[in-house]
Amino acid sequence: MAVSSLTRALGALLLSSAPSLPQRAQHPRLVCLGGNLLPACHGFSTSSTLSTDNPMWKCRIKYTTRPIGMKKTGGRDHTGRITVHGIGGGHKQRYRMIDFQRLRYVPGAESGPYEEKVIQVRYDPCRSADIALVAGGKQKRWIIATENMQPGDLVKTSGHIGRMAVSANEGDAYPLGALPVGTLINNLESHPGKGAQYIRAAGTCGVLLRKVNGTAIVQLPSKRQMQVLETCIATVGRVSNIDHNKRIIGKAGRNRWLGKRPRSGLWHRKGGWAGRKIKPLPPMKSYVNLPTAAARA
Amino acid sequence: MAGLWWPVRPAAGALRAWGPRGPHRGKTVQAPRRPLPRTPWTTRGPPPGAPLPRSWQDKRPVQEQIPGLEQVTYADKQHFVPWLARPRHPRWERGWHDPRHSPGLRYEAMPLYKERVCYVCHQRTKMLEGVRQALWLTKTKIMEGLPPKVLSIIDEPANQLENQDERVQNAISHARLWNTTELIPKRESYCPVLLEDLLHLCRTMASKYPSLSKRMLARDYKVAAIWERESSMLQVRGMNGILLNAINPLLPVASKDEILATENQILETFHPISPTIDLQEVNVYEERNDTGFREGYPYPHPHTLYFVESANIRPTRFRPEQLRAKMLMFAFGNALAKAKMLYGDDPKVLEHPVVVQSIGTEGRIFQFMVFQLNTTDLASSDGVKNLVWIDSDQYMYDYIRYLPGIRKKVVKFPPGIYGYRPDTFKKFLALYLHGAVQDSTQNKIL
Repeated sequence: MAVSSLTRALGALLLSSAPSLPQRAQHPRLVCLGGNLLPACHGFSTSSTLSTDNPMWKCRIKYTTRPIGMKKTGGRDHTGRITVHGIGGGHKQRYRMIDFQRLRYVPGAESGPYEEKVIQVRYDPCRSADIALVAGGKQKRWIIATENMQPGDLVKTSGHIGRMAVSANEGDAYPLGALPVGTLINNLESHPGKGAQYIRAAGTCGVLLRKVNGTAIVQLPSKRQMQVLETCIATVGRVSNIDHNKRIIGKAGRNRWLGKRPRSGLWHRKGGWAGRKIKPLPPMKSYVNLPTAAARA
Repeated sequence: MAGLWWPVRPAAGALRAWGPRGPHRGKTVQAPRRPLPRTPWTTRGPPPGAPLPRSWQDKRPVQEQIPGLEQVTYADKQHFVPWLARPRHPRWERGWHDPRHSPGLRYEAMPLYKERVCYVCHQRTKMLEGVRQALWLTKTKIMEGLPPKVLSIIDEPANQLENQDERVQNAISHARLWNTTELIPKRESYCPVLLEDLLHLCRTMASKYPSLSKRMLARDYKVAAIWERESSMLQVRGMNGILLNAINPLLPVASKDEILATENQILETFHPISPTIDLQEVNVYEERNDTGFREGYPYPHPHTLYFVESANIRPTRFRPEQLRAKMLMFAFGNALAKAKMLYGDDPKVLEHPVVVQSIGTEGRIFQFMVFQLNTTDLASSDGVKNLVWIDSDQYMYDYIRYLPGIRKKVVKFPPGIYGYRPDTFKKFLALYLHGAVQDSTQNKIL
């Protein structure tokens, strides 16, 4: 007991916490499936059974183009309770590992702009956009398809920022600093090398508004403006499946096929959250660490 | 206006109730042009360069910070308590090498490990670019249709069975209708049965041409061939199909002029895709050239390879393009292994080219191929190339009707074969007879 209190006191003095998760060996084709691999088995073992099956079907480290079987959660988390309502059922889906980091150099190949050929454009059950199988060199990978991508097209990926802006074709990926102001872009990264996390839904596109000494300002589809470093890669054009928002569901059953459960039928009085809101735009989100005034002076 | 319960909106153009007062009254508020000043309301987090708060700083474990400090675990207590650390036990060692429970060597420690990567084509390799990729890998020139030698065998009326069409249709019906008691048999059951029946029909010609009896079928044999192709090492390995061996080799199909004319052909590349895509990269391999048969086998020369594509599920089944590529690769592998056995490992242009035929089917569609290996000098892309004649997508019949089509209580479409084409079996038979039939109209080697 004394030892435990001693360690607790030491822990309070020092900057200690649980040791960080062991880093998996960084495979060059490591695709981060939904962030870090969560500790599925927690650090303690009890005599009672855990309340739910291990929900982590995301166990694969090596990249593959073959579809992987998914386990549906039904809105439940690791405790087994519903955390998000309205999810459940729906058609079985298989996950295709999408490579969001467009500028990915194969180890051994020289760095520089490279081309890839589009082999196939197909429907993905896990997202609203279509996906395209592209092949370059000795590898094949899935990427988010842009509006007019057809099988047989050549798409270029480059990491070089020249003095003059490039006249980019749709489907090519360039750093924001190399694109002319006013291009429509999609699959945008917030930090260079992180992988695309913005503007991935069907039919969306962002606009490159201006380029300001080493950073670029992009307008997202929600009209919010975002400032990122100019070395962040983005794909040119609109995302595929542009008529996605014009589709008519038609019946309740189709929503059930999509995995959406009906909402509660209980009548609630609408509170402050309801109704149309007219607000000024939120301020520009900056993912760039600009030097402080004190450092500049 | 008193007593109204809805909020009163000011008239259009009037001043907003919440706008600026004083000298700026009436001015519309613009968004500030310059970036917002750094105030607690416009920024989040510490400014760059400033020290991070305690909870955001990198934390090293206590054990690293205080040397010699041990974690107190609940191992001695033999049960979990939440305030002690989880015991990490050392990995249990068996103490002796149990071959059934050992993890195996790493790739780098294996005796056959090599630094240089080798690309292997095996029986499940589905090549992305199909035949074009196989042509580049085997340094081959493609010719559409079967060679004229084989076509002349088809045209001769003496090279046909009695009641050929009827017997072939019986074979198809046997495979697809009469073989099982279930109504619609699966491809796995009818495809090999069909091939066996067609081979049996071909063998009945042995009474007319006695040299047909000097042949033997071989199944489940493994071929190995290795070659260099423009700084990549390529291999063909594994079980491929049913091989028809013969005592006498097939004579070259193309004339010397045609072989020399292939020197001008430029092999087709497909930038940006590398020609070794979809091949398995291995570092642990053995450089072996093996026909699959030992010395002294009475039927030493490969004649025809039969490929049966009978996977039930469509994604696993080879598409016609991929099947043709597989046929080409394995015909080449067998020919190369035989050539290296006969003429040695040195890359050279062959005096007597090796000819291997190949037939692939998935029960209805047949692919015919005649491959002639002219050279084993495959490292460079210039020079004499090999030749292949491909006749692709030959339908033996259009479809089978399992249930009768009854309209107004009259059987209008009886069950059976629909759209039978006799030419396909004639080509099948011609490829079988090739090498045993002496053509009087043509010279053997031009």
